Amino acid sequence: MNALSADEMERFQKLSNNYQPEVQGPLVSIKQSSHSIALDYSNADPTLATKTNALSITHPECRIMKGDGNCGWRAVAFGYFETLFTLRDTLRIETEIQRMKALTSLLERVGLSDSIYEIFVDATEDVLNRTHAAIQNGARDESFLVEAFNEGYCSDAIITHFRILTSAWMKLNPSRYQAFLPMSLNQYCSSRIDPVKTEIDEVGLQALIDGVIEGSGFGVEILYLDRSEGDVVTPHQLSSHNPSGATIRLLYRPGHYDILYPVETLNMAPIVNLQYGMTSDYSSWDQAALGFDVNPSLMAIPNLMQDASFGMGGPMSPMPSVSPTPASPFRMSPQQDMYQSPMPTHAPIPSVPVSPAPHMAPPSSAPPPMTSLPSRTSDGPQIRLNPLVMKPNLSRSLPVTPPFKNSPYNQAHFQNSDFEPIHWEPHERR
Amino acid sequence: MGSELTELTESPPEGIRVELADESNVYEWKVIMEGPEGSPYQNGKFLVKLSLPTEYPFKPPTVSFATRIYHPNVTNDEKGSMCLGMLRADEWKPSSKIAAVLQFARQLLSEPMPDDAVEGRIAEQYKNDRSRYEEIAREWTRKHAC
Repeated sequence: MNALSADEMERFQKLSNNYQPEVQGPLVSIKQSSHSIALDYSNADPTLATKTNALSITHPECRIMKGDGNCGWRAVAFGYFETLFTLRDTLRIETEIQRMKALTSLLERVGLSDSIYEIFVDATEDVLNRTHAAIQNGARDESFLVEAFNEGYCSDAIITHFRILTSAWMKLNPSRYQAFLPMSLNQYCSSRIDPVKTEIDEVGLQALIDGVIEGSGFGVEILYLDRSEGDVVTPHQLSSHNPSGATIRLLYRPGHYDILYPVETLNMAPIVNLQYGMTSDYSSWDQAALGFDVNPSLMAIPNLMQDASFGMGGPMSPMPSVSPTPASPFRMSPQQDMYQSPMPTHAPIPSVPVSPAPHMAPPSSAPPPMTSLPSRTSDGPQIRLNPLVMKPNLSRSLPVTPPFKNSPYNQAHFQNSDFEPIHWEPHERR
Repeated sequence: MGSELTELTESPPEGIRVELADESNVYEWKVIMEGPEGSPYQNGKFLVKLSLPTEYPFKPPTVSFATRIYHPNVTNDEKGSMCLGMLRADEWKPSSKIAAVLQFARQLLSEPMPDDAVEGRIAEQYKNDRSRYEEIAREWTRKHAC
């Protein structure tokens, strides 16, 4: 093994020092289906497979960041601009331009001269102006931002701007961060924050959010994909702000950050019948009990149930006008959140015969909001709800498509026994 | 970049003088560096070339000694390149000033970093036979830099 001469060893050392693995792909990708992430893990640890599958339903779209060491910084920066664009509020952008200018005082206070930082601040301002113009010109989508972030100079300059702001913020607020650092804060900033292409760690990310993002009023949520217990990725709020406002969502996989888009922010125009998770093939279970007169594949037609009176004569159809407590095909079993267990004993309520039997159910068992799965009793419901969609904590992400909106099982429907009208909130964009 | 050059030419750091190698090219700088006092390079005037990559400031400038120098951190060839510490691509900070780069390079003449050497044998000598190292470095300085 000692065959190499010192010169050769040095040469190899130098090559190795300068080696940079080739990373493929654009700096910031276009929005794409999160299903690709699930596919990546389909053969991996079952925990990861389960979590990524659930993720692709709650967060159907994602944006992949190039893994060049800047991904976390780039994801936050891109998310910041994109959120501003999505809000389409030019006044807010003007406020942000002023705020970014004001933040340069942090840089002054740690001794950076304007000749050093101005090109970085200019880049951020430039893209803020471009965002402003895009809104005014009625740009349809954020492709101008994707382009800007794929320009090497622009992307690097904005990231550097956010890095030096974070570093300055930390130096001016040492007591908030020092306890979490394995070294002195100055050393940390100069080795982990300031150098190009150093990956962001948790302390750095927190400081970036505290120092740079928080002032915008945007929340930042990180969804951790790891092998910890549970069926869904672990969400973590990194901002102290009211999380109901605009939120930048990041997916963290050890060593890498991407951006995620939850169901809420999707354009609802194309009807995606997610909440039924219907399939035309029920033969794998309960075939014998298939009590529908309705052709199962007809049930997959989204608007078929739009008319609440449809199929009222059918054996399974609830008759809300007759009874406020219909024996529901959606009978809930809140404790049972996965459909893997077909045992009727798991259902809290005894199985109900397939018939319009309004009196079988106690009044309290009126259809609650759709937050959980129906039990699979032997003669139970014939609509198979996708268990991942129906996780209780995901109920907020359910898209409201016309059939569900018009169903008495929608809590917002006047015939629902737990009727509660939808309150319009100014920050919500549906 | 222009403002940095102005600043450097108007009030240069100690022992350093800066000009453009070619007035039409702001990416190539010519630096005259005086050997620091107390070092074997004292009284020497070293021509140092500083070039800024097109990706500057997101990639570090490259610093090389056009004047031959006997030093553990400078390649002992006609390139005379120096690449360590803040000059390494993965340690480079875009917010670094060029003045700081030059001061770093000059500081290295006073205090070589043998553990981060490009010339292993000179580093060995620096660590184990300091007087011999100083003798050769002084001799090279007389021969090439005066």
